[in-house]
Amino acid sequence: MSPASLAALVAPVALVAPPMPPANVAPGGVATAAAGAEITINWVTLSPVVIVLGAAIVSTLIEAAAARRRPRPSGPAQPAYLRPLQAGLALVAVAAAGLMALRLALEADKSMGLNGDGAVVIDPVALYLQLAVACCALLALLVVADRTVQGESAFAPQAAAVPGSEYEAKARQRRLSQTDVYPLVLFATGGMMLFPAAGDLITLFVALEVLSLPLYLLSGMARHRRLWSQEASLKYFLLGAFGSAFFLFGAAWVYGATGALRLSGIAAAVQSPTGLDPILVVGVVLMLVGLFFKVGAAPFHSWTPDVYQGAPTPITGFMAACTKIAAFGALLRIVYAVFQALEWDLRPVLWTVAILTMVVGTVIGLVQKDVKRLLAYSAIAHAGFILVGVTSLTAEGLSGSLFYLFTYGIASVGGFGVIALVREVDAEGHMRGEATGLDQWRGLGRRSPVLAGAFAIFLLSFAGIPLTSGFVAKFAVFAAAFGAGAPALAIIGLACSAAAACFYARVIVAMFFEPAPGGEAAVGAAAEVGAAGLAGSALAGSGLGGSGLGGSGLGGSGLGGASPGGLGADRSGVGGSGLGIGVRTLGLTQIAIAVSLAFTLVLGLVPGWFLHFTQELSQLLS
Amino acid sequence: MSGDLAMTTAEQFLFWIVSPIVVAGASALLFAKRAVLAACSIMVTMVGLAFLYVGLGAPFLGVVQVVVYTGAIMMLFVFVLMLVGVDVSDSFIETIRGQRWLGAVFGIGLAAVLAGAVVRSTFTARAGADSARELAESGNVGGVAGLLFSDFAFTLEITGCLLVIAAMGAVIMTHRTRLTKPVTQPELMRQRAKRGLRLTPEPAPGNYARHNAADVPALDAEGRIIENSVPSALRIRGQVHTVRGLGQDLLPGGPPPLRRPDAAPPAGRLEDPPEDPPAEAPEEALVEAPVEAPEDQPEGSLEGDQTASAAVDEPGPDKGEVKP
Amino acid sequence: MSVSAYLILAAVLFTIGAVTVLVRRNSIVVFMGVELMLNAANLSFLAFSRLWGDFDGQLAAFFVMVVAAAEVVVGLAIIVSLFRTRRTVSVDDENLMRR
Repeated sequence: MSPASLAALVAPVALVAPPMPPANVAPGGVATAAAGAEITINWVTLSPVVIVLGAAIVSTLIEAAAARRRPRPSGPAQPAYLRPLQAGLALVAVAAAGLMALRLALEADKSMGLNGDGAVVIDPVALYLQLAVACCALLALLVVADRTVQGESAFAPQAAAVPGSEYEAKARQRRLSQTDVYPLVLFATGGMMLFPAAGDLITLFVALEVLSLPLYLLSGMARHRRLWSQEASLKYFLLGAFGSAFFLFGAAWVYGATGALRLSGIAAAVQSPTGLDPILVVGVVLMLVGLFFKVGAAPFHSWTPDVYQGAPTPITGFMAACTKIAAFGALLRIVYAVFQALEWDLRPVLWTVAILTMVVGTVIGLVQKDVKRLLAYSAIAHAGFILVGVTSLTAEGLSGSLFYLFTYGIASVGGFGVIALVREVDAEGHMRGEATGLDQWRGLGRRSPVLAGAFAIFLLSFAGIPLTSGFVAKFAVFAAAFGAGAPALAIIGLACSAAAACFYARVIVAMFFEPAPGGEAAVGAAAEVGAAGLAGSALAGSGLGGSGLGGSGLGGSGLGGASPGGLGADRSGVGGSGLGIGVRTLGLTQIAIAVSLAFTLVLGLVPGWFLHFTQELSQLLS
Repeated sequence: MSGDLAMTTAEQFLFWIVSPIVVAGASALLFAKRAVLAACSIMVTMVGLAFLYVGLGAPFLGVVQVVVYTGAIMMLFVFVLMLVGVDVSDSFIETIRGQRWLGAVFGIGLAAVLAGAVVRSTFTARAGADSARELAESGNVGGVAGLLFSDFAFTLEITGCLLVIAAMGAVIMTHRTRLTKPVTQPELMRQRAKRGLRLTPEPAPGNYARHNAADVPALDAEGRIIENSVPSALRIRGQVHTVRGLGQDLLPGGPPPLRRPDAAPPAGRLEDPPEDPPAEAPEEALVEAPVEAPEDQPEGSLEGDQTASAAVDEPGPDKGEVKP
Repeated sequence: MSVSAYLILAAVLFTIGAVTVLVRRNSIVVFMGVELMLNAANLSFLAFSRLWGDFDGQLAAFFVMVVAAAEVVVGLAIIVSLFRTRRTVSVDDENLMRR
């Protein structure tokens, strides 16, 4: 993996790491000449990705080293240093990568366009997206690393344990924790940084898989409600693999139509029409379909609600933010830089998908009763809004999309961080899983005004209310749509925004203006003891997850159907009287929420500087 | 020449023979009820594809297809299928009404779009494309390697990360850290002893001159049948060969009818249930056994079972040699 | 006889794989459908590599094989861990979350 080993492998290849150029970043990450001749790997410009992936490998080795000795027969089953070490390593690595990306971006010559060549192209847009991924990943890692003062994290003690088995109870008791989460998150972050910077089709596919596989695994590792979690993991995996296969087949046909794997080569070949154009169009559409799967655009969104609901909440936040940034980054790169010549062919596809996505996300979101599913459908709707920006195929559209991605990502991580702090408490005062039913959130404003206030601001940002960053983002995107001659898209977008504001408002109203269920229930550990409490604890104490299990048995709709159902989860019997809010944790989640809040408000109040930045970037790709 | 691929007759032959096999295998994946059949048919498809790859001038990839795809990936599938249940078959009852029709419509539509795109395109190969590749100095493998280690060196490293993820994921999903000390054999035996269970293996069936089978019980020191020496399946089915029956054919009057161990003993016959007062049986046997044994002994055929049946009742000092 | 024959074969395989994913109820068979789709892409890569006369497509197919192997490992691990819990690999039986 090191430069030394690579050089040792292939004699005629020379690796050169040039010193940091003064004001000009070399346009390529990996530049090549003819096969067998000298190649240059510019490790400096690749450093964000390399730092994160290198830290991931080191993290894996730490795991392996720590796991060698069999744990003692009693007492904690893991060395006490392991978890802080892994968490610390991950945080430091992502922070370092973000700082590197920032430094590279500031020193980059903004007049350079997408003329870099090579397997990886590090141009300012790529650096911006890497920086965005690093910021959101850092905040998400804070939520991942957090745990309650009782030592519980959001992840199952052993992912391989059968839920509800004696082994699992023993693992919990012995304070076992799955510290493999950290290398997986780091690998996923590395893939997400590489995906928007990929310069050819193979690297795109490999980066797509590198970012997806850890997420498939991580979705299955929730501590509470393990059955949902495992189901989410399987669904995500099957549909994700399906989408990747579409992407790959499209890439094959694009290669076939243009004869080039490199995006730059494809861009050049596309300029002149050839007899292979039908294959090219089909290939491009299939690649877009694969990417639509990844971002959760309709009609390929069927995995999103179940996966967002079943995955552990910190991972949901990570996924919601960073996967979208990475996938839209790649989408933007493909659509803008490469296929401007195919504008007229792609427009109908993009329009249809954008409209469908916005409508589906909004309409089905209206009837959701579970906060995580609600945010999942809102994520779908937001994907639609970003697609409106992408569809414009202009510089303003690109700028709006980039801004939207960043602000949505930050707000998403913060929102899911808040959800992670609202827990169910059973009669003995043990923290159970997150309380995600909307009726459990009633009256939150009274019990914990800070949390409820933060969540309200995030929701307002999602809704696009002025003074929040979401408003600025939506304004930018819809203005771009108007400007690009697609007013219909903008009008539908505004209508959907208004409708979506309804269900966000519903949550805010429930939090602040409705009484808490069961009267003024206790905050924190002491829950009311009563029939309801005992029933709640009996259900919750099984660790298998509340009424979700009891009410199952619907035949379900299988995988491919985009079934619109809409009753949401029925949360009637569980934890009505026991709600632990503002669960005392190490404070990391609170830090993440505070930072997200700060960004959301700052970018809403004074967005000028940031918009200027993204507009500068977008001049490059038009 | 400009124009499409110059496919030789041999290649066309290969294509038109292998393609139906490939398509048939793929269809079997779609239509086979049993999952194992689907796995085997897709293996056929993949081997067929390997043939096509070789025909397309990519022998290295053909071999990798067989070794990696068929040999590793599909074997992994088959192993997991065996773990899950070889007989597992889909129920074809639809959970969504019309899902199969929807699937068929989607499939036909997708195939039409893709095939249509192919048909509407005109293919012009680069002039001398085939020869350029075949004449590449380093050959097929060298050509691929040249690209791999120059243009795609970084991508290869990233693929290495992917493999690390895969290995780690497999371990995470299936490996459980051992939290208790493993129970070893001495510990298991101690627990058995505490519970008062048998510590030794079960006794083996009886081994006599005339009979040496699993349904012949062994005899203990007092001459009683050891029930556990016969496998329980035979005991349950009542197929135990009673020892007392051995040598009975030499009695005056012929062999007594075979009886089941739980049936009521015929009157006047020798019995071996432990509840019988031991005093009676030996006396009866003493009456009969010495009658038989000296008769046969002068004949020189030392029938082990007779002496056994004699020694069963009373291990007389003169016949102490047989100890069942 | 042209490369279009190979492409149509690839298209047919891809379609069969896609329909398998949508219609079959056994997760392992669904995953085999995904593998078939990846194979169809490989065939396209190689056919086009032959058309264009260079090694890019072969290299792409090689990477696809490696990536598919990694994906299979992860996927089967997930399926096995799910099987341990539920003793079934049917996709239908896994719908605890209401829509």
